[in-house]
Amino acid sequence: MAQVATVAETRPSSHRFRRARNRVPVWHLTWLVLAALVFIVPIYSVVQFSLAGVQPGQSPFHWYLTVFDDPMFRSSFWLSIQISLETVAVSLVLMVPTVFWVHLRLPGLRPVMDLISILPFVVPPIVLVVGLLPFLEKITWLFVRPEVLSLIYVIFALPFLYRALDAGLRAIDLRTLVEAAESLGAKLPRTLLRVILPNLRAAIIGGSLLTIAIAMGEYTVASLLEFSTFSVYTYTIGTSTAYEGVALSFISFIFVWGAMLGLYLLGRGGRNAAAVAITH
Amino acid sequence: MATIELRGLRRTFGSVVALDSLDLDVHSGEFVSLLGPSGCGKTTALRIVAGFEWPDAGEVLVNGRDVLGQPANKRNMGMVFQAYSLFPNMTAQHNVEFGLRVRKESHEKRAKRARELLELVGLGTAMDRYPRQLSGGQQQRVALARSLAIEPSVLLLDEPLSALDAKVRVQLREEVRRVQLELGITTLYVTHDQEEALSISDRVAVMSDGRVEQFGTPAQIYNGPRTAFVANFVGTMNRLEGTVVSSEDRVVRCGPLMLSVPDPTFNHRAGETVELFVRPEDISLELLSNGNKPAPGLFDGRVTSLTFLGPVTRVGLATDLGPLLADVSSAVALGLAADTVVAVKLDSTALRSIAR
Repeated sequence: MAQVATVAETRPSSHRFRRARNRVPVWHLTWLVLAALVFIVPIYSVVQFSLAGVQPGQSPFHWYLTVFDDPMFRSSFWLSIQISLETVAVSLVLMVPTVFWVHLRLPGLRPVMDLISILPFVVPPIVLVVGLLPFLEKITWLFVRPEVLSLIYVIFALPFLYRALDAGLRAIDLRTLVEAAESLGAKLPRTLLRVILPNLRAAIIGGSLLTIAIAMGEYTVASLLEFSTFSVYTYTIGTSTAYEGVALSFISFIFVWGAMLGLYLLGRGGRNAAAVAITH
Repeated sequence: MATIELRGLRRTFGSVVALDSLDLDVHSGEFVSLLGPSGCGKTTALRIVAGFEWPDAGEVLVNGRDVLGQPANKRNMGMVFQAYSLFPNMTAQHNVEFGLRVRKESHEKRAKRARELLELVGLGTAMDRYPRQLSGGQQQRVALARSLAIEPSVLLLDEPLSALDAKVRVQLREEVRRVQLELGITTLYVTHDQEEALSISDRVAVMSDGRVEQFGTPAQIYNGPRTAFVANFVGTMNRLEGTVVSSEDRVVRCGPLMLSVPDPTFNHRAGETVELFVRPEDISLELLSNGNKPAPGLFDGRVTSLTFLGPVTRVGLATDLGPLLADVSSAVALGLAADTVVAVKLDSTALRSIAR
């Protein structure tokens, strides 16, 4: 009984303790609100502006509807998506085996890879493209196709994808996992596919997302090579109709957020999905 | 079951000689440990057997056939690693099934074998858990089950218990031995822990500087070290330096004492300087009354330290022969304190001599 009484007596104080522990300091909240404002205010302004300038009787989403009705919007948007996906595919096919091999068998080359991977940061895009043009012009069948942009964007995305894969591979004990799989009879391709890639899922998704963001938003090269990608279209519209341009900006925001959310959900379900895949 | 023969294995890393003409024979169904300090080459030897390293010279014969030309994935050897090596994206069951999946075994056979092996290592109820949901000890058990699933000709274990805490380590090493005896699989075990090696092995190869210093049963290694390195590395030894007085009678002078060495391998000439080794448990102590001299054959010593080790207490002594350690019953040690003067008796039958 004495014990019960003691527990009952201590309950209110333990609640108080928990409340005190859960209480967030005021300055934490202040910084949180300030940070949120930095993000929210511009977005709110964009949304407000994209809903303004509408004539009486028109839908408040008039500028969005105008944009969606424009065939150029649809074609430029799909072109950018197509280029983004191609860029991701080419980047992954090139980079995953390369980074895997360097980590596993040629760790001495990692500093060289680090250096190469930051070159796109050091060389401005315009310089890179001007340098590449004489070479690309010789491959005439490719030069006139939008796929040429994918190849250039692979270079732009290199630092982001390499860093993501590098961090992912550092986070696992690559050599031990590969040797464990080898001792069980697996060859390297199977090990890469069944053991390493499922454990790199988050890194691959993160790197792919950044690659998509770069490919969707790139303007300089697409404009120079005269391809009507989404960013070129947005700029063109923005110079003639400000409201439509801002509406387009918000649409691209939503697209990137949606892509992020989708990839995040894909990454979260990764472990279970991988386990299910193994059983089949 | 298979035999393993290592013939003249040599491996260098730059100027460092990791293995220097290593020879070793492991009989079928035998549990052999490679024991030695860090950098002695034991892991390199194991990795060469596994196919993850290649020697500069020498042969690795399994059942009399050289396997050096085969890649690791063709050798059919189960391996348990020091680091946790379970595939993080797979459950315990799928980890165990992995090798069978590579061999294209049917789903039923895979599931049955995985269940049997996980039950064998005491994890029958954890089949659906991912490695992150298992403790270190459980992960190594699953790794052991996984390595056994492919019915390997040889089981290789590279310090599999070194990342575990002491109690789990003792428990798991007994389990490894139980499983090995149950399956009768030829096993090569690498460890730097002498207690581990001596407690579970049929034979132990003590290694130093890329060579086998001594290869024998745990009792032979513990009771009859053949080199100063083995004597110092395995267990605790007192080292006495002396001069051979009589070669025929095996008498050695150590300070004021004339010691008769019963070691049958004693093969030193008169005047030669030898090292004598005696274990702390072969030294006994008697309390001396004030001013009394020790009895003949005994010599006096002053207690310098007392370390409680459970059933025994290790007593540090300052003597005319130099500092000595003696293990006495903890009940007896209750009567001792620092600076107590005691009579020290060496069990001369336990003396071992090694030429300098």
